[in-house]
Amino acid sequence: MSSITNTPARTGRAGASATLAGVSFAFEAGRMAIADASLHVEAGELVCLVGPSGSGKSTILSLLAGLLAPVRGQVLEDGVPVRGPSPSRAVVFQEAALFPWLSLRANVEYPLSLSGVGRRERAARATELLRTVHLARFAASYPHELSGGMRQRGAIARALATDPKVLLMDEPFAALDAQTREILQGEVEQIFLATGKTIVFVTHNVREAVRLGDRVVLMGTRPGRILRTVAIAIERPRAPNDERVHAYVAELSAGIRAEVEKIAREEADDAWVAPRGGVRVDPAFGVGDGI
Amino acid sequence: MAWATASSLAATPLWPTPAGVAEALVAALRDGSLPRALGTSVLRLAVGYALALAGGVALGLALGRSVLVKDLAGPLVLGLSAVPSICWLPLSILWFGLSEAAIQVVVVLGALLPIAVATESAVRQVPPLWVRAARTMGASGLGLLYGVIVPAALPGIVAGAKLGFTFALRSLMAGELLFVSGGLGQLLETGRDLGDPALVLAVVVTIVALGRMLELALFRRLERLVARRWGTDRP
Ligand SMILES: Nc1ncnc2c1ncn2[C@@H]1O[C@H](COP(=O)(O)OP(=O)(O)OP(=O)(O)O)[C@@H](O)[C@H]1O
Ligand SMILES: [Mg+2]
Repeated sequence: MSSITNTPARTGRAGASATLAGVSFAFEAGRMAIADASLHVEAGELVCLVGPSGSGKSTILSLLAGLLAPVRGQVLEDGVPVRGPSPSRAVVFQEAALFPWLSLRANVEYPLSLSGVGRRERAARATELLRTVHLARFAASYPHELSGGMRQRGAIARALATDPKVLLMDEPFAALDAQTREILQGEVEQIFLATGKTIVFVTHNVREAVRLGDRVVLMGTRPGRILRTVAIAIERPRAPNDERVHAYVAELSAGIRAEVEKIAREEADDAWVAPRGGVRVDPAFGVGDGI
Repeated sequence: MAWATASSLAATPLWPTPAGVAEALVAALRDGSLPRALGTSVLRLAVGYALALAGGVALGLALGRSVLVKDLAGPLVLGLSAVPSICWLPLSILWFGLSEAAIQVVVVLGALLPIAVATESAVRQVPPLWVRAARTMGASGLGLLYGVIVPAALPGIVAGAKLGFTFALRSLMAGELLFVSGGLGQLLETGRDLGDPALVLAVVVTIVALGRMLELALFRRLERLVARRWGTDRP
């Protein structure tokens, strides 16, 4: 297996700043998924988003990626408005987003062929990237032949292929066992230190957020919004079981617990209100309330 | 075995023995009527099926990806695919006369519609995650279609293509039966005209063998490859 001392030796484009300026977004009219969120991620900064399910973490990543366009406010990359997806902002998703019909190597080469990179350079880049994530031996394997951890490594290699300035990661390790997750956290930190890319990392796991983030952004629900930001003053590379990690985790967990309890209360209310006409009425979304 | 016993008991020329059918088969092979009919039918099948496959996949992709096409053509395609394609023969004879084109209309329509319907549903079932991932890497338009949608939908497209093949063969046989034009279907008619049930059964055996052989040759390995690669053979 790999070790976190195996430093990826590549240099490429350094990070760009990523900004949400007063952004709101709704999937359906009248129901805000994100309400007035502002967040500035510095170039070369690693920011983690934590929050309960439904707090809009994935939505924020999609907005940053340019997959969704805000209803209000602006999304900026290095101060320039984002107008759609771009290879300069790469996304790593939670589950197997590698294409099953392509070998690992072909998966990593795919974004390169989209940007018109020639065959030989593609092959060289793919080899190098797979080495970075310790998968060089598995270049010819197909995704279903790999473990979950290897697949996510492959997805990271594919995301790095176009040498993005911003790396957006949506709970990439949520489906992995604790040991594998810890190893991959170390690898993300190594890649971050070696490349200087900007990383926005979404997770449910407060410990993971504190382990990785320069800052941790705590999100709340109904509507999805940013509650507060905590700077993590621990030097890198970090030891996974640093004492100070625990202190931050305790602090942030209290905040999350309050949010989750709020949701539980509201859901109990919903159940009580529901019988009226059979329509699900959500008290948190009364006009002008909570938005 | 059951057939042999039953037919020797019945002992009438209308219910031929396996040996009689084998004899008829050999005779039809010798005098060249069966090879000629087989050649005609296979050629027609190849042309008609190729057209149906190209058209059906294209139509299915358009139906699956374009709301406009779906709204305009969706109900029509579903409605037409419920009609046995042989019903188009009279119309197509009026349009094209007693020509190859008339019979190809029946074959193409018979196979194209089920292929289109299967392709459309395969396209709709492509996981949105793969599409989103491809878009973040810069794929769009036709590149997204050929690079991601088509390969992602391939297992369903292959299943549709296989279904379409059986429809093409059926439509062709029905067409040839009703339409004097050479081919295996017409040889069946000849058997009936001659009052020769052994010949009729020999042709049926040939049709079954042809269908199975082509299906195996065309789809067996493709299906296995797709199932393995796409992981559809795993739970
Ligand atoms: N495609 C969609 N259509 C409609 N509503 C959606 C869609 N995707 C998300 N939502 C809603 O938007 C809100 C935010 O969802 P989002 O997926 O961003 O939350 P999340 O914080 O990523 O949650 P999780 O931790 O479960 O991944 C939720 O209320 C969700 O129900
Ligand atoms: Mg999410």
